[in-house]
Amino acid sequence: MKPEAQALKGHLDTLLLASLEAGPRHGYAVREALRAASRERFDLPTGTIYPALRRLEAAGLVKGTWSEAGGRRRRTYQLTHAGRRRLAGDRAAWRDFASVVTAILEPAP
Amino acid sequence: MSRALIDDYLAGLYGRLPADLADEAAGGLAEAFERQLAAGSAEAAAAKAALAEFGDLDVVVAEYTRQAPGRRAARLLLATGPVAGSCWAAALIVSRAWTWPVPPAVRLGFGALLLLAVLALTVAATSRRDYRRTRLAAAASPVILALDAAAAAGVLLAAPALTWLLAMAMAVSLSRIALIAWTLPRLALR
Repeated sequence: MKPEAQALKGHLDTLLLASLEAGPRHGYAVREALRAASRERFDLPTGTIYPALRRLEAAGLVKGTWSEAGGRRRRTYQLTHAGRRRLAGDRAAWRDFASVVTAILEPAP
Repeated sequence: MSRALIDDYLAGLYGRLPADLADEAAGGLAEAFERQLAAGSAEAAAAKAALAEFGDLDVVVAEYTRQAPGRRAARLLLATGPVAGSCWAAALIVSRAWTWPVPPAVRLGFGALLLLAVLALTVAATSRRDYRRTRLAAAASPVILALDAAAAAGVLLAAPALTWLLAMAMAVSLSRIALIAWTLPRLALR
């Protein structure tokens, strides 16, 4: 695994929650959204997105429902209230962390 | 030839995961394959690219196994086991439980069932790549529930006096029964 993918793994839950913020998506669309939003830098194996979504569902952060479209059954996920709260908390924590690291790496002149 | 690659992978998914999980993953793989075809790849190249994008079967199954409800339930029960066990041990020793009117066959049966259930939970809790092993938790948790209930009933039927240690052990068992009753419906589903 590339170092970037390893670092990404620690933030996967937050990124998955963020990709569902705009509205419900199925697993493949979540993967595509992550890839597009990261300008193709984050290209996770699609097969690992599905178990991660199930984990978030078991934790009550997203809710999945089966639907049928074009002869194919798909499971669509949407954020729950708890998921939105978690995302807001993660986002605030990340901004805080990132601003500290930036302050250290790029001190003001 | 190329479809065979995809079909092998799908057979692996359905053979190693519950149908509900395999259905979802299989849909994702089919979508990846179709997109590759739509982008103009030949069938063989499209299958290869779709599989590479999807990830190794062992890795995908291991991810599902890691977060399997059975594995987590088994870990929870095993973690609370020593607490319940030591509460009961202390209570039974102080109450001199060996003098209680409980037939030897019942004592032996209780011990053997407990041992088997703990063994099954250990197998479920330690599974890393085999999802089916985590489903042992669905079989073992009702046994633990029944043993907890039997122990509490045994105290009411056979104990000459209810000490506070016995009452505490029963309370621990009752909370475990509640915990199992709460997790069991989700385990039964997969």
